[in-house]
Amino acid sequence: MSNVANASTVTTVAAPKPQLVIDKVFKRFGDGPGAVVAVDQVSFDVRPGEFVAVIGPSGCGKSTLFNIIGGLLDDYSGDVLCEGDRVAGPHPAIGMVFQEESTFPWRNVLDNVAFPLELRGVGKAERLERAHHFIDLVGLGGFEKRMPSELSGGMRQRVSIARTLVSQPHILLMDEPFAALDEQTRLLLGDKITQIQQDLKQTTLLITHNLTEAVQLSDRIVVMTYRPGRVKRTVSIDLPRPRTSDVVSSAAFGKYVAEIWADLREEASRGMADAEGRTRGAAPRG
Amino acid sequence: MAATKPVGARAPLATTSWGRTGRVSARSTNVIRVCFVLGAAIIWESLSRSGLLFRDVVPSLVAIVASMGKLLVNPAFYANLQVTAWEVAASLAIGGVAGIVVGIVLGSNKFLARAYEPYVYYLAPTPRIIFFPVMIMWFGVGIASKIALGALSCFFTIALSTAAGMRGIDKVLIRVGRTFRATPWQMATKIYLPAMSAPVLNGVRLGFGTAVITALLAETKLSNQGLGFMVMQIYARFDMPTLYGLLAIVFLIAGLGNLLLGKIAGGART
Repeated sequence: MSNVANASTVTTVAAPKPQLVIDKVFKRFGDGPGAVVAVDQVSFDVRPGEFVAVIGPSGCGKSTLFNIIGGLLDDYSGDVLCEGDRVAGPHPAIGMVFQEESTFPWRNVLDNVAFPLELRGVGKAERLERAHHFIDLVGLGGFEKRMPSELSGGMRQRVSIARTLVSQPHILLMDEPFAALDEQTRLLLGDKITQIQQDLKQTTLLITHNLTEAVQLSDRIVVMTYRPGRVKRTVSIDLPRPRTSDVVSSAAFGKYVAEIWADLREEASRGMADAEGRTRGAAPRG
Repeated sequence: MAATKPVGARAPLATTSWGRTGRVSARSTNVIRVCFVLGAAIIWESLSRSGLLFRDVVPSLVAIVASMGKLLVNPAFYANLQVTAWEVAASLAIGGVAGIVVGIVLGSNKFLARAYEPYVYYLAPTPRIIFFPVMIMWFGVGIASKIALGALSCFFTIALSTAAGMRGIDKVLIRVGRTFRATPWQMATKIYLPAMSAPVLNGVRLGFGTAVITALLAETKLSNQGLGFMVMQIYARFDMPTLYGLLAIVFLIAGLGNLLLGKIAGGART
């Protein structure tokens, strides 16, 4: 229960082995003087049933990290170990939810959610039954026959989440799934996510730049630095569970937000200064 | 004071007129369409009966409808219709398959697209009828030369819209397929094909239009069968009512074909 997360793995007897290990992951784009180090020696781990958020300003290599863990970017150094396997190419135990709108516009909600099962050759009856279950779980019961174009952005994102959950990933990996939504929808969907995570004991890794979202949902938060992306600090969030969005008004919540913001502000200001410098065309490299 | 008064007076008027157009728009467009057809028919008929023009140039509608009836029971009409339909179908099949294949290649390979797409782009709007003499030399005066010309003309439209459809696929959908570890065959049938079907079918619809135009145009130039040939035959006899009747039937058939393909394309989009 200390702030130094790895210490507890050693001291607590019952602590399970980490399910996902990120070990000294390094990724550089380009060569020579124009090269950009996106992710630099990043290490952390995620234990079974745990909800971990990676937070950092834009340009901290979060999305690169997401793509590496998801196996969409397999040219990296260091190790991403999912249940002991080094990730190279999409791993069957990892299910991804993207930031972008990713439902299939030509499939209705039911067929969208059943998609991964269809790929695996699961029979139609079982496929639809399992899809129904996860549609209910994300609170979209009754919308099975609707097309994505008839749904709101928040509903479409829940379809994407149900589609990933139906494949029963051991690890749920989400990249800013609520980035395009308004604050109220985001808080309410956060409740849904918390509830699902508790019901399924779903190990989850969330990539985000939203501080309240990270604190609301996580057991642990990994704070990243602005370019090159390094782990600045890991913070354990000891807020009571089961949690709802009401937690945002508690004093403890405010303390965590303030504490992490102190770290994040420094990084975000560096990012902003860098962006402004580049716009002026006089940015010092590095 | 002077400025606010007209605004206040205009606002309620504007809302009521908007509300009214919104409510009755579907019915009123139909009324306007029917009025247009009726008006055109009345003008045509009065011109025909006025004696201002030669009776043969603007024949009476009664004569045109009568000749349409005669055409519809004439076996020669069906023989020619069959020839033209076959030409259009074969052109569309050949030009369509070639166009979709080339479109997929251009759409998926950036290098080939940069190298060859300008040719397709700049050749697309050239009038294909100028190749007709070449096609006659290669394929003879029969059906084959019309099919070749028709295929050539719809190829470009279909290739370009397929390439655009391929490039227009949302990249995140491809990533979704990859994360669920779809096989290449599953990627093709469950992601690429459905994502592209709307632009491809739209291209086929436009290709159908060009194939019909090209086949009929070629038939009027040099042929011994087909609807275009029939038009020229009737023209040679100066049988104006039958000529207008045949033209009306051709319009209707082309319109219905287009409508049908549009329905299929529209069905794929939703």
